[in-house]
Amino acid sequence: MIEIPLLMLLITVIIGLIFSYLAIIEKDLLKAIGFSAIQAIAYAIAFYILMAPDIVLAYVAVAVGIYSALLIFVVSKTERYEVV
Amino acid sequence: MKRLVPLIILLITIFGLAYYITPKLPQQIELRPLGEFYLENSYFGDYSAKSPEVVTSILWDYRGLDTLFETSVFFIAIIGSLTLFRLNKKQEEEAKQKTEEFRIGLTLIIKSVTRVIVVMILAVSASIALHGHLTPGGGFQGGSALAIAPLLIIVAYSKYALEENGLDKTMALILRSVGLLGMALVALIPLLSGDFIMQNQPIFPAKLGGQLVSGSLIYYNFFEFLAVGAGFTAVFLLLAIPEKVFKKFLRREANE
Repeated sequence: MIEIPLLMLLITVIIGLIFSYLAIIEKDLLKAIGFSAIQAIAYAIAFYILMAPDIVLAYVAVAVGIYSALLIFVVSKTERYEVV
Repeated sequence: MKRLVPLIILLITIFGLAYYITPKLPQQIELRPLGEFYLENSYFGDYSAKSPEVVTSILWDYRGLDTLFETSVFFIAIIGSLTLFRLNKKQEEEAKQKTEEFRIGLTLIIKSVTRVIVVMILAVSASIALHGHLTPGGGFQGGSALAIAPLLIIVAYSKYALEENGLDKTMALILRSVGLLGMALVALIPLLSGDFIMQNQPIFPAKLGGQLVSGSLIYYNFFEFLAVGAGFTAVFLLLAIPEKVFKKFLRREANE
């Protein structure tokens, strides 16, 4: 018997995994930052389902806001596309 | 399509491992003795922190020194990034001069929405930090939420809008120093009456004017809130200086 919270946990974690993979292989760095922000939102929901609200509050602010902003500042000082 | 193949292999591997491992794990039904101790003692009990929120009372009371050293790690990280961006007095003044491309900013829609959202973020972050001893949340969580507000202003208006209204790098550093100093003082006050460093009860009153403030927890949360929020803001203000200005400084130094 599968419970609904566990099913939601499975779905959010898979979304997080898919978007972290996309963030790694993406060559457009701004898009990659967007993917990493989506991954952070999915993991925040997963933390909430795992009953860790303290982590959620820190994780949402840091991983979606501050981390993405820092990376965008860094990208603005270099180039947008990753050249292999 | 070709780049999705590794992803599918990864997913299948993880599902296979989970299917293989999960039945072999022992089931945890009862609380561990350590968790039971904290749940029983954080509000009631003999070793009480007088706080119904167990996580905050562990962070700032039972394992307070750990958090103090974590804060010092954060302090050193901020100091390191400030050192990377060091400017002398004259260059700092020049970095505050508005360059031509920042005169207009983004559209009216974004500006008005930002004006509303910034106030909401300030209120939410203050409530996260100041209710940290009652509900989930605390100083670091509230402080990192607070740092989003100046960040939004930097994006929607410019960093010059912040500096013209008085929140420049020096102001952020002063706020951060007030936070760190307050935390050190609250940690050292118990030593005066011959108790342990960072002791909470019974030196600090658990209730102020009928409100539960949980002794030292609310002071730690408030000062950490200031220190984290202002520290992040200082770094963002320095990062938002346009690259062109930095290059001008470097070229001038190379010529001299």
